[in-house]
Amino acid sequence: MQGMVSVKNLTKTFVSKEETVKALNNVTLTTPNNRILTLLGPSGCGKTTLLRCIAGLESPDSGEISIGDEIVWSKTHGISLPPERRGIGMVFQSYAIWPHMTVFGNVAYPLQIRKTPKQEIEERVKKILDLVQLSGFENRLATKLSGGQQQRVALARALVAEPKVILFDEPLSNLDAKLRESTRQELRSFLTELAISAIYVTHDQVEALTISDEIAIMRGGVIVERGTPQDIYLRSNNPFVVDFIGRANFLEATVKGYQDENHAIVSCALGDIVCSAPSDLAPGTGVTIYTRPESFEVAPSSSSPMENEFEGTVTDLLFAGEAHEAEISVGGARILAKLKFHIPLKKGDKVRLHIDREWCRALAPGEEA
Amino acid sequence: MLERKSALRFPLVGILILVVGALTVGPVVMLVVGSFSEGIGALGKFTIDKYVAAYTDPVLPKTLLNTVIFTIGCASFSTILGGLLAYLSVRTDIPFKGLFRVLPVVPMMIPHVLFAAAWITLLNPTNGMLNLFLRNIFKLSSGPFNIYSLGGMIFLEGMLDLPVTYLVISPAMYSFDTTLEEASWVSGASNLYTLRRITLPILRPAFLATFTLAIIRSLASFAVPSMVGLPGRIHVLTTHVYRIISIGWSPDYGRAAAIGLIVLVAAIILVYLYRYLIAESSQYVTVTGKGYRPTVVELGRARYPLFFLCILLFCFLVVIPLATLVYMSFLPYSMVPSARAISMMSLRNWHTVLANPITVRALKNSVFLAVVGASLAILLSLFVAYVIVKVRSRGSAFLESLSFLSFSFPGMIIGVGFMWFLVQTPLYATIWGLLVAYVGTYLPYGIRPLRSAFMQIDQELEESARVFGASFLQALKDIVVPLLAPGVISAWILTACMFIRELSVSAVLSRPGTEVLTVEIMKLANDGLWGQVAALGIIMIGLSTVLVLVANLLRVPLSHAE
Ligand SMILES: Nc1ncnc2c1ncn2[C@@H]1O[C@H](COP(=O)(O)OP(=O)(O)OP(=O)(O)O)[C@@H](O)[C@H]1O
Ligand SMILES: [Mg+2]
Repeated sequence: MQGMVSVKNLTKTFVSKEETVKALNNVTLTTPNNRILTLLGPSGCGKTTLLRCIAGLESPDSGEISIGDEIVWSKTHGISLPPERRGIGMVFQSYAIWPHMTVFGNVAYPLQIRKTPKQEIEERVKKILDLVQLSGFENRLATKLSGGQQQRVALARALVAEPKVILFDEPLSNLDAKLRESTRQELRSFLTELAISAIYVTHDQVEALTISDEIAIMRGGVIVERGTPQDIYLRSNNPFVVDFIGRANFLEATVKGYQDENHAIVSCALGDIVCSAPSDLAPGTGVTIYTRPESFEVAPSSSSPMENEFEGTVTDLLFAGEAHEAEISVGGARILAKLKFHIPLKKGDKVRLHIDREWCRALAPGEEA
Repeated sequence: MLERKSALRFPLVGILILVVGALTVGPVVMLVVGSFSEGIGALGKFTIDKYVAAYTDPVLPKTLLNTVIFTIGCASFSTILGGLLAYLSVRTDIPFKGLFRVLPVVPMMIPHVLFAAAWITLLNPTNGMLNLFLRNIFKLSSGPFNIYSLGGMIFLEGMLDLPVTYLVISPAMYSFDTTLEEASWVSGASNLYTLRRITLPILRPAFLATFTLAIIRSLASFAVPSMVGLPGRIHVLTTHVYRIISIGWSPDYGRAAAIGLIVLVAAIILVYLYRYLIAESSQYVTVTGKGYRPTVVELGRARYPLFFLCILLFCFLVVIPLATLVYMSFLPYSMVPSARAISMMSLRNWHTVLANPITVRALKNSVFLAVVGASLAILLSLFVAYVIVKVRSRGSAFLESLSFLSFSFPGMIIGVGFMWFLVQTPLYATIWGLLVAYVGTYLPYGIRPLRSAFMQIDQELEESARVFGASFLQALKDIVVPLLAPGVISAWILTACMFIRELSVSAVLSRPGTEVLTVEIMKLANDGLWGQVAALGIIMIGLSTVLVLVANLLRVPLSHAE
């Protein structure tokens, strides 16, 4: 309950000179307690706007926001708590480290405002700086730190007053790729260890998948899907989500019948394939099925053909470090498959591939990617 | 290729250092030598009498005190006002924002002498129009305001410095990363606490820099101290120097130099402080491209009241002085608008002014100085700016510091330095002497905008044109000139307008035959001929306006000459 953020029917429109942008369109969302929820979506979909509305830095047009048990903004009740009274912590994309203060000054600031006794401030700042591995940097001017260190100062500052919930707006986007990866791990273990509620905004899908307990996918001011990273990546039925997260092969198919309640037999360019599907499709219905490149395997050549096996020709091959990325032409379609690099392959080879029925999903008709 | 380039440029740098050095350091050296000399006709005959005389002068302590109060007063007034205006226009949702980009700069068009003259006719204690008006309404025995006071001087000079403080603070406001404030709010701080602990401390170096610049300018200012301070017997250092060389039988240029040197030293120290503070404040610039979204502070109910306050300020700065001048120019003496006043209006002041051979000569001289002087100054600035930006050598760095240093030199003091110099040459008491002094004194104002114009032209642009077969000169013509033209024209306009309203250098160097408009206006004001002051002043403003318009017409075809 403590750090649960609940947003109801939130709408926010930006009106500038010639255009109006509906940044949030009737968004409803409840975040899990003491877990990390990520808002993920393409640029301009309203993630930052939603986060800033929750923080109180932006005021919505209508709807309601509560943090814990307290309503912090409501059109109908006429409530609008300023950011300083919402009990949150926030890490900004630019870190917003105060350049005229030392590391200690930056981190102690939220406690100084709360009139915490001096002795206690020192103890708590020391503790939190230990946690983010910045002990010894207390008296360094905050601007004289590296990007990664600044990011940790920002984190320490957001954590020090023990907020109900902590908000992150693309906190890693200003770091270089290598540092981003390690910081990602660090951040995740921090947050899980402290069992703190966090809302995390990013447009980087890998970041979202690795760091979150749950992901909410946004598009055009609307939340289109919500679930665990596994759900989102492997079991989504939303074409936009499938396309946005990772890479996918989309194939046109026709339903032939059902093998059991959740698995249909469809015919497509790969031949007849068993795939997981919504259970109410009549035979003859046209559907789109999708597969992830990494779910293909080279079929063992010795054994007799299994279910979901097909043969294709390698038309293009890319060595991508840990795997081959092969473009394979089969039945007039081209699919992308990520294959283990120790299997010798070259352009023009014929190859037999297999895909598990669970990793091959039919999308309900009528939804457009 | 490379060798030819450096062979071409090396003598250029040398020549420029010589010319710029002579124009900026030359007068300073002459000032020092002069201060140790027995007299203007006896240059080099060593004596320290001038220092003894200058620094044992019984009026000096009072003058110093006045100077301190005046400069600090002006700087505080203009910095606070400029800061407020910049804040409102950059950070808030004040209506008609576009207007704010123009309004604070417009007063630059009005010469300081005229600004002072207009307010004197409004607020002088005996017959200032506003005073008379208020006296009638409230049945007072005397006018409530006295412009001939330190307060009056601070009021006028502070307003005149406003455009500058506004222009210096605005960039700091623009580049202020508003997420720094947001981070404070979400940390639990109120607006007031955030202002006190975050916003103001981060802006402090910018404010201090502005304050320092305003001190430099008011220390050098001569128009207001001479128009208001002299009649009011409130002397500051510039007018003190002026009195030494203009009042009494034998002007003592040695004593003037001895006093002038401390002003110069103070100005140099201040300008270094200014540079340090500007560097400091740019350290705090933390704007990052991504995720940066300036938030607009909503003024709410205060929105329109604040806007009208700004408009009122603009009236004080431009509308009221201009209207007063126009009105005064038709009247024989100052009187509150009434039926009688209207019946007495005539063109007599205009006739008198235009029939007076001295004022007509002053007019011609001023136009000549503006057009020819600005052209020469800009030509020289072009070379200097080019060398500073494109040639990275010790020589060019030296040029840069020279141009930066002389930026702080007070015109009145440098005028005295030029006096010592020009007397030794046939240029003395000729219009060319004035021209040289103008160019030398105001060179940094030409170099600065051109330097930034050059910086915008990418080196690669120039080089790529040469790779494609253009010669160096052709590259200059095809690439550099069209890109540079707008900057050059703006710099020319700025310089020409500055030369038209130049007072401090001219007050020292102008002689019968080389009269200029501002000095004549000052003389007319001394004689209390406010009607003629107004008429001549309007002609002068008209001249600057014509210059601006003509130059602007040129701007269009030049910048499209691709
Ligand atoms: N202050 C503003 N004024 C006008 N339009 C705005 C403003 N802030 C955001 N918008 C618009 O609202 C929409 C949502 O913006 P938002 O910043 O929330 O997107 P985002 O999902 O955070 O994108 P990104 O990943 O690029 O940060 C965009 O179309 C944006 O242009
Ligand atoms: Mg964003």
